[in-house]
Amino acid sequence: MAIDGVKQQLNKVFAEDDALINKKLPKELLLRIFSYLDVVSLCRCAQVSKAWNILALDGSNWQRIDLFDFQKDVEGPIIENISRRCGGFLRQLSLRGCQSIADGSMKTLAQLCPNVEDLNLNGCKKLTDTTCNALSRHCSKLQKLNLDSCAAITDNSLKALSDGCPNLTHINISWCSNITENGVEALARGCPRLRSFISKGCKHITSRAVICLARFCHQLEVVNLQGCSNIRDEAVQSLAEKCPRLHYLCLSGCSALTDASLIALAQQCPLLSTLEVAGCSQFTDAAFQALARSCRYLEKMDLDECVLITDATLIHLAMGCPRIEYLTLSHCELITDEGIRHLSMSPCAAENLTVLELDNCPLVTDASLEHLTSCHNLQRVELYDCQLITRFGIRRLRNHLPNIKVHAYFAPVTPPPTAGGTRQRYCRCCVIL
Amino acid sequence: MPNIKLQSSDGETFEVDVEIAKCSVTIKTMLEDLGMDDEEEEVVPLPNVNSAILRKVIHWATYHKDDPPPPEDDENKEKRTDDISSWDADFLKVDQGTLFELILAANYLDIKGLLDVTCKTVANMIKGKAPEEIRKTFNIKNDFTASEEEQVRKENEWCEEK
Repeated sequence: MAIDGVKQQLNKVFAEDDALINKKLPKELLLRIFSYLDVVSLCRCAQVSKAWNILALDGSNWQRIDLFDFQKDVEGPIIENISRRCGGFLRQLSLRGCQSIADGSMKTLAQLCPNVEDLNLNGCKKLTDTTCNALSRHCSKLQKLNLDSCAAITDNSLKALSDGCPNLTHINISWCSNITENGVEALARGCPRLRSFISKGCKHITSRAVICLARFCHQLEVVNLQGCSNIRDEAVQSLAEKCPRLHYLCLSGCSALTDASLIALAQQCPLLSTLEVAGCSQFTDAAFQALARSCRYLEKMDLDECVLITDATLIHLAMGCPRIEYLTLSHCELITDEGIRHLSMSPCAAENLTVLELDNCPLVTDASLEHLTSCHNLQRVELYDCQLITRFGIRRLRNHLPNIKVHAYFAPVTPPPTAGGTRQRYCRCCVIL
Repeated sequence: MPNIKLQSSDGETFEVDVEIAKCSVTIKTMLEDLGMDDEEEEVVPLPNVNSAILRKVIHWATYHKDDPPPPEDDENKEKRTDDISSWDADFLKVDQGTLFELILAANYLDIKGLLDVTCKTVANMIKGKAPEEIRKTFNIKNDFTASEEEQVRKENEWCEEK
């Protein structure tokens, strides 16, 4: 007892001797200061003293963590440690690029941090369905899940998520190439609140998968099916019909699609602001005419390799879509100066147009650049392999728009003898011209 | 503009423009709750703030009287500490004792702008320092045993560049 008394006395002495900061400021104000600290500073504070260790590791400091900068060093035990620190506080965690993370750590995380809402596992390649099973079991509040490039994930993951995570609003399963229509169907049934579905490069996603999504998830706003080359018109028609809030749609590389897809979008998705259809080479002017008539909010369009479109498409866009900021017409080989002239005279050109990509449009000449001088907001023009464009034309454009970035390539005056083979581009011959 | 009187813990009275005093939510609520109107010559007692600190707080509030209200804390946004104005930075070139007293006063008086900028200032005194430098800065005693220190170092070394 006497010894305890002495200890207390000592503690008191220490307390009095303690730093001003600890003596003056109560815990909640110290935590307020700590709330301004980054992960590195917090980890260092944890090493200062016992009291600061407790403060720095207080879960309230660890609600939102991004470990992308530490991806190389982040290994299992760190995740387990962080899970213990954060516990129920953790809301948002990014482990993007942390390739050494395996299922075991994620199981611990799911158990200890049941309130996580936003989890980014992009590129955590070791993860399998076990992780999603654990998330399903413990993390019913999960809203956003990014599994981009977690290639081992299968339909079982999506089935698990559909059972345990009904609040999911955002999912990214890009490059999880094992996923099929069965997984997507299960997900759609269990997660009707989905607003964003991203499945780039999932070759086994079929029209049926998309039709299921549309049927159950009417709130979809963002859909990216880039490279899901099995998708056909009926899939896009179904999306258009059931998901009127759609404003971002990427169908690039879905080369089986025809005008019917765009016409359905034109009729039913007036809010569309981004449309990426690179490589949808069957689309024609007629479809873009329909689109331009009804989708007045279009801001970003990627028409790369829509090889059938002509100046008519540009004329319709110029009339119908005053908000266009970003327009890609690469490899649209039928586009001429006349189309660019209409675009340049449109309301969008004067106000909004910031990026215009015209690379590999072989008919475009310096006259187009002259038209573009009226686009005051233009910041970047791509002109690679436009063999009728000259240095002089570019210089004149720059005189009008001094801050513009122009990307063009002019072959050297004397072609080097070894310049063969690697790139088949028109430019080589434009030297001769 | 009508004035009101604020009385510090050590009994000194300060006459302040009501609008300036009201940047303190605590004073604003007090005035509303007590129904104090301008004719009465009442004194608002502030028993938690001494005159030296109250003088500084009034100085700060007077300079910032026309500022827009500070934004609500957004949990989703990473908090910045590199946005302290040069006036505030100069104003806060004070000893640690005064700085901590200002934090306490800003908290008690509920002046979000002052609380934010003072907390940021302390956060900046921590950022970029090694544990030993932090101890020196704030005169904190290392109360870990050697083995405990090794343990916490190991637990937290993952975020250090190798």
